[in-house]
Amino acid sequence: MADDPYKALGLNKNASQDDIKRAYRRIAKTDHPDLNSDPVAHDRFKAAAAAYELLRDPEQRARFDRGEIDASGQERQQRHYYREYAESDDNPYRQHQGFDDLSDVFSDLFGRGGGGGGGSWRGGAKSFDMRGPDQRFTLEIDFMTAARGGSTRITMPDGSVLDVKIPEGAHDGQVVRLRGRGGAGMGDGPPGDALLTMIVAEDPDWRRDGDDVETILPITIDEAVLGGKVEAETIDGPVMLTIPRGASSGQKLRLKGRGLRGEGGRRGDQHVILKIVMPSRIDAELEHFMEQWRRDHAYDPRGRR
Amino acid sequence: MTQRHYTLSETLEAVSDLTAEQLERYVSSGVVVPVQSEQGPLFREIDLARLNLVVDLAEGYHLDDEALALVLSLIDQLHGLRGDMRAILDAVAREPAETRLRLKTAIREVRVVTR
Repeated sequence: MADDPYKALGLNKNASQDDIKRAYRRIAKTDHPDLNSDPVAHDRFKAAAAAYELLRDPEQRARFDRGEIDASGQERQQRHYYREYAESDDNPYRQHQGFDDLSDVFSDLFGRGGGGGGGSWRGGAKSFDMRGPDQRFTLEIDFMTAARGGSTRITMPDGSVLDVKIPEGAHDGQVVRLRGRGGAGMGDGPPGDALLTMIVAEDPDWRRDGDDVETILPITIDEAVLGGKVEAETIDGPVMLTIPRGASSGQKLRLKGRGLRGEGGRRGDQHVILKIVMPSRIDAELEHFMEQWRRDHAYDPRGRR
Repeated sequence: MTQRHYTLSETLEAVSDLTAEQLERYVSSGVVVPVQSEQGPLFREIDLARLNLVVDLAEGYHLDDEALALVLSLIDQLHGLRGDMRAILDAVAREPAETRLRLKTAIREVRVVTR
């Protein structure tokens, strides 16, 4: 940023707070990178935005004027312009446009569907009915709701509350269509639909790999040595799992059909990864036993590749 | 998927000159469409960048909500086309020289010669 934030805004130190705001707004109008693609304008805007960020708070401005902070030290993290996101193909805000004149070429080249949700004209010359537009939303759900299915309550932008049914085995990017919950129609046209694209929040305990899921099961050293039955969480609730004698950390046990409901209706598997966890305190007895044991039974798990 | 999400108050904190009432209005009019969750609305990085732009537009040009929606829709179209155009140009750049020349000739015929 320029050394002198006042200069970046075309002002001097005596400027009032209103002057500062007005100067920044004036520069934003002409040089905003979302409106003006000229790199020079971009630099001007960047300097002005950083300067405004520093001077807009009178207290912070006073500290700067007294030399307690310098201009560069106060720079906030790089501001991201809307265009950085909006140019990407999956910009969720780029949905209302048709580009009917270009759409053939574009859908051919970019593999997009036809200009979604357009209304159809009906009726005579004077009256027309048009179906309301579809509206797209993004809905975040937690892992278990996605796995088991269920319903989640959301508040629509217009303030109405909706219970949304989540299908069992829902995955990222899956779309739920709520008929008639989109934009209002014109004339006698029915309202459009609300399309909810789901994203499944990551869960520290459940890793997903296609229709399979992976969990980590902590076991004690005695369970690892002797084997035994241990309770393990599955999507359907806890089950008793048989740990084989002499189990190692990282060993995978497969629970067939305990994964997620796939497209064909078949469920994937759950992979349980064992993890041996030491007791919180190594007591004298264990230590003594291990010393004895090592003397006659030493082994090298790293020896052979 | 592992994208940072901002709650209402974090969003107000992150976007300068945005009041809670304005944000509520922008959400209900569909100017920004946050992610819905059981904990309430969550804003993505793109929503924050959009809100920054909205504040600059609304304050700089004194736009009411309808005019704002129009301007944003035009900007979305422009940015979308810019992204498409960039993709096409990148694709053209990967083609061999003779293909590029042929395209150049075709573009000139379509865009320059005809009126």
